[in-house]
Amino acid sequence: MASLPKIPEYKAEWAEGEAGRWGIAIDMDLCTGCQACVAACSMENNVPFVGEHDAGYGRQMAWIRVERLWEGEYPEVKATPFQPVMCQQCGAAPCEAVCPVFATVHSQAEQINLQVYNRCVGTRYCANNCPYVARVFNWADYSNYPEPLANQFNPDVTVRRRGVMEKCTFCIQRIHKATDQAKAEGREVRDGEVQPACAQACPADAIVFGRLDDPESKVSKLSKDKRAIKLLEDLGTQPRVTYLKGGYHGNLG
Amino acid sequence: MAISASALPHAHAEEHHAHDHEAELRREHLMLDPKPRGELNAMVMESMTSTSWKFWVVAGILAVIVAVALFGAWGYMISEGLYLSGKNRPGYWSLFLVHTVFWVGISHAGTFVSALLRVFKVEFRRPFTRAAELMTTFALAQAGIQIFAHMGRVWLAYWMFPIPNQRQLWVNFQSPLMWDFLAINTYLLASTMYLFLPLIPDLAMARDRSTGWRKSVYRILALGFRGTEAEWTHLRIALNIFAFAILPVMFSVHTIVSWDFAVAMRPGWSSTIFGPYFVIGALQSGVAAVGMVVIVIRYTMKHMDYFIRKEHFDAIGKLMLVISMGWAYFFFNDYMIQWYGGDSFTDALLHFHEAGPGGWIWFMMLITNVAIPWLVLWNKAWRRNPVLLFSVGLLINVGMWAERYIIVPVSLQINRMPFLWGQDFRPGIEVPIFIGTVAFFVLLYMLASRFLPLVPVWEVQEGQMAHSIRRYGKEPVVSVAELE
Amino acid sequence: MTDKLSRRDFLKVVGAGAATAAVLTGCGPASRYVTREPYTKMPEYNYNGQSTYFATTCRECAAGCGLIVRTMQGRAIKTEGNPYHPVNLGKTCARGQATLQGLYNPDRLRNPVRNSRGESYQTGEKDWTEINWDTAIEVVAQALKDPAGVQFLLGPAPDHLFDLVREICKTIGAPAPIRFGALGMFEARVTLGEAARAMFGRPDTLFFDLANADLVISFGANFLETWISPVAYTRGYSKMRKQRTRGILVQLEARLSQTAAKADLWHPIKPGSEGLVAAALGKLYAEQKFGIAPAAFEAVDVAAAAEAAGLQLEALENLTALLLDADRPLVIPGGAALAHEHGLEIAKAILALNALLGNLGKPGGVFHTPVSPLGEEYRRPASLREMAELVERMKAGKIKTLFVHGVNPVFELPQALGFQAALEKVPTLISFATFPDETAMLADYILPDHHGLESWGYQRVTDGTGQAMLSGAQPVVAPFYNTKSTVDVLLAAAGLPFKDEVEYLQNQVAPLVEQTGGFYSAADLPSFWALFQQFGGWWKNDVSLSAPNAAGATEKKLNLKAVEASEQHEEFHLLVYPSPILAEAGANKPWLQEIPDPMTTVMWNSWIEINPHTAEELGLHNDDVVRVVSPFGAVEVSVYKYPAIRPDVVAIPFGQGHTAYGRYAEARGINPADLFGPNFNEAGDLAFADLKVRIEKTGKKRELSRLESKLGVYGEGMEEH
Repeated sequence: MASLPKIPEYKAEWAEGEAGRWGIAIDMDLCTGCQACVAACSMENNVPFVGEHDAGYGRQMAWIRVERLWEGEYPEVKATPFQPVMCQQCGAAPCEAVCPVFATVHSQAEQINLQVYNRCVGTRYCANNCPYVARVFNWADYSNYPEPLANQFNPDVTVRRRGVMEKCTFCIQRIHKATDQAKAEGREVRDGEVQPACAQACPADAIVFGRLDDPESKVSKLSKDKRAIKLLEDLGTQPRVTYLKGGYHGNLG
Repeated sequence: MAISASALPHAHAEEHHAHDHEAELRREHLMLDPKPRGELNAMVMESMTSTSWKFWVVAGILAVIVAVALFGAWGYMISEGLYLSGKNRPGYWSLFLVHTVFWVGISHAGTFVSALLRVFKVEFRRPFTRAAELMTTFALAQAGIQIFAHMGRVWLAYWMFPIPNQRQLWVNFQSPLMWDFLAINTYLLASTMYLFLPLIPDLAMARDRSTGWRKSVYRILALGFRGTEAEWTHLRIALNIFAFAILPVMFSVHTIVSWDFAVAMRPGWSSTIFGPYFVIGALQSGVAAVGMVVIVIRYTMKHMDYFIRKEHFDAIGKLMLVISMGWAYFFFNDYMIQWYGGDSFTDALLHFHEAGPGGWIWFMMLITNVAIPWLVLWNKAWRRNPVLLFSVGLLINVGMWAERYIIVPVSLQINRMPFLWGQDFRPGIEVPIFIGTVAFFVLLYMLASRFLPLVPVWEVQEGQMAHSIRRYGKEPVVSVAELE
Repeated sequence: MTDKLSRRDFLKVVGAGAATAAVLTGCGPASRYVTREPYTKMPEYNYNGQSTYFATTCRECAAGCGLIVRTMQGRAIKTEGNPYHPVNLGKTCARGQATLQGLYNPDRLRNPVRNSRGESYQTGEKDWTEINWDTAIEVVAQALKDPAGVQFLLGPAPDHLFDLVREICKTIGAPAPIRFGALGMFEARVTLGEAARAMFGRPDTLFFDLANADLVISFGANFLETWISPVAYTRGYSKMRKQRTRGILVQLEARLSQTAAKADLWHPIKPGSEGLVAAALGKLYAEQKFGIAPAAFEAVDVAAAAEAAGLQLEALENLTALLLDADRPLVIPGGAALAHEHGLEIAKAILALNALLGNLGKPGGVFHTPVSPLGEEYRRPASLREMAELVERMKAGKIKTLFVHGVNPVFELPQALGFQAALEKVPTLISFATFPDETAMLADYILPDHHGLESWGYQRVTDGTGQAMLSGAQPVVAPFYNTKSTVDVLLAAAGLPFKDEVEYLQNQVAPLVEQTGGFYSAADLPSFWALFQQFGGWWKNDVSLSAPNAAGATEKKLNLKAVEASEQHEEFHLLVYPSPILAEAGANKPWLQEIPDPMTTVMWNSWIEINPHTAEELGLHNDDVVRVVSPFGAVEVSVYKYPAIRPDVVAIPFGQGHTAYGRYAEARGINPADLFGPNFNEAGDLAFADLKVRIEKTGKKRELSRLESKLGVYGEGMEEH
């Protein structure tokens, strides 16, 4: 019997992804739930609207959502801190392994989780397997807007047709342009030089974007903060989004 | 060996002074009630060719349903988008996958019944193996339709095929969907061949007894089978290999189908019990479906009352009962593992199963899959009652549909983000498409019954040759000779 | 079996299978990184040309945030915040982001039209004839020839139009223009201004220095949503939290608003008791700190105040302890707190509390807003009482031509005011609306203005920043349709000596060239104008906040009353709040419609928030349609069981319920302004928070579209079967 090729040691390979290149830190103490990130993301990334029925039926397309739950009962009721949830760009992404056609892959350059729309055949397995429920599917050609609404489409971002999956890309078009610019000038991308639409809009400065592989960057420091937590970290997904918990003041309850 | 060319001694002619018991045995068992070969062949041929106008009316109606409900609705959905189906977030998968698993499950039992019983040389199998195997193939076709309907961009389905291409694309063998795709294809191929091999002698028989276009088609399909010693030997070897080899394939197929779920990182799905649970579930629905098909054939086709008898109902009924017990074991096992594994999301999910809006479906599943078979099938007389057996089979299939419904859309509602737990899942265009596949299945079966001998007549003859009733003292004893 | 499959052969077969599987896996990209180039490159990786960025001012509300609009090939692609602009420092809110959907709204008015007041007018049908702009200007010019019969009704933005109209009115001798905006009504701006005048001697909306306060007690000020200048105050909030010792936010209001959700402490006090609570806090604070309470708070009975507010006395004492602990405490009056019959007194009580806390003019305290570099005096919007007076004048037939720009009074004003009915008595209504809103539908002429992003202009921004500034607007795209700037129309009709709008604007900003201490300076007007366009305005580098005059602020006696406790269970306080997402004019933007409300996550519709216990008592479930009846009107709306609202209060957001305004807004939800009556407070603002309503079941159900899961969030859906 011929000797078998060595099967890659996935664990070891994934460990390299733990640090990551780009990351987001979200301070839940500052997030006011104002939905500016949702609007900004949708405008930047050509996210379509779906109408009242479909929106209520769980087909809203936004790539980022602001979660809040309730604790307790009136009058001791409390809304949990607003928590914007988008694709966590996992270092070991559960969605990547299950796609039969490699439509969702890890990019070597940006080390984020890509969605390649024109490869997607729409099995929706990735969405099922995403523990953060961060993926949305084009159930119809929602982008067929009445004229002239389509004029606002961002030419840097694909307009997705029906039948493909999509999700937050960390505004890869912006990352890409900033890295190219930096490369042309023979330097590294500066901290804060590139911002995704959500971080750019956030009026409370709750969303911070930057390089995780630069220990001096703001996001690196925040992700090592003592308030830092990662969402469903115990699943081993190595999320690149850090949440800074907080929002309660010690003795006030 | 080859079947001896000499005529069998006619049972009725020999035993004029039949004992009551012996007559009973002969009435009961096809194998002990032999007919001359020519007569059997003629009966099978006649069952294929005698078609009443009612048949064509039913076939026409089914064809219209297939055209409108299946291909019409599906085409409309392809052009409009999947919003026509009831899917949403978090119910990304829904009825199409339910129906895929449902049809794969049905397809299971055909081959199971045929191969397993052949391996164990269970004699009552002989008249209905063909019917069961045909079911496998046709049900798999429906499963394929459902899985293609499930895809968001079905026009790119060929991107999932591992074929050389210029798209710089290869398929991802890490994906359970790829495993599934390969497993189902393997199964389709294997079961089609397994269907075809025992068909060859019958096709040859049909070739020799037909004229016109039928003859020319049969001539091609029979691959020049003449019934020589060498041909029979090869056929037997091939059948033996296939009967053994297809059993693991069959178990693997549904295990792999279950991995679509079990490998996923979802509460309630990520379970080691899913493999055997799916296999037993598939057998549960499949054997029930075999029972239903056999009953339908028995009462609609000419001469089939000779080939299919109460003994077969009885045997299938017993099989259904045993499998139902196995299914119940695995079902409760699922809860047991959760009871001592204890993940809070799965807890919520299992509670949601029975207390959520689909709770009645969960209870219905238990009633139709466990309570009713256990109450009915213990009783020999009830087991042998075709109406009752058919109803139980139908109910089991409804129950197994419910089981898949609970596993797919209902379980998808609970994820790890309670903010997006769902409870809103309505059926949409999946309903007509499912009805369409049912009609398509029945239609294919009906058309096949006009063209293929539904009874493997050579196997029946073989069995009848091997069986005889001997008398030791006063008691008639059934004796079976080893023919191989 | 003649042929046997030996064990050896079997192993061969299995080995071959394993090798095949391994090869398949090995040949395929089993490594994690897969070349991202698929079939063709996606636009995300391509260079699609250069973008051009233009600075302008957001017109979605009166806050006047600076925008940088990215345009490409003549199309506006994305709005981003202007990082230099003192109000928003590069940030935007959801409404600012969606402003492009106004620009490219499919229902924009495309031509000047004339609507005949025939029979169709009564039935609401449109009988529009297109006219050309020369005719339109002629119509306006004719109307201006009867100055006594002319009345301009303008929105809060833009200011350059207001300045021009004021000039014109002064020149021709017409009554001064009136400005109105629904947000101003919900913020009770007039009351706040009047209270500032009464307490500090200068009327303005005041600047609350959230950023440096270490304890903020807010009486229902929803400064994270729509209040005054939400982006600026959100920044202030963020800075407050980021201080070395994290600032504390206490919110006192009947419903847990989005702002209250961020508070460390929320007390659902009874509407109308805000003044008493403020006074009680003042009394407790002064007694503990100075041993004696000043005149303003002396009279208040602390126990009775707690009782009226529905609070434990202990809660007031805890708040006092917090105040005593704090170095830089700040108290903010919200809109709903002042929208009571005695709202002015409440405002005064809250300002007096600030004076008592000694934060006037100190970091983390209360300031007067900076004076705009162009305008000297504070110009407040019209109060509701003034709007009622306008309606009276309309009814009396004194107004021959009513010009409306930037405001939609038919929708925004309470129906009980009778604006729509009074329009019958106005012979000519000329609307400059960009969108087919309710008022435009009733107009005799619609002379559509450009959209804000196609317009020139400036906005005098005084709120939200300490820097005196003038925010500039310029077209970022060429006008899409046959619309015309209202300033150009008026310039032509009034025959003023300006060539066009730009010349008028340059003339207006000319005095700034002389001013020093600016963000930039220029030698002459053309260079200044270029920089003004480039940076989106002009502002001073230094903060020019002034300290309010605290003298005697705590010595004036206050006349505080609690809203009488209603023992009837059928009556509920109705709390109407502007929707944080839609505000007054966002309903025609589909993406704003689809953005979930921050607290309820409802999209595309209106709802009424009812405490779950109350709902249970009334036998109401989620999505049940109820009839909400006030003495002045009734609406039917779906129930949302809101866990954090007082049981005796119900709340409805304002922003939906349009009967016109384009396909995305029309026939969607209800307008709670239909329930308001003509009740005013002492300052003339609408006392909307006093309103009591009855809730009647209708037996109908209308499902609300929500993002959140009823199952995961409320545990609903587990028991129903």
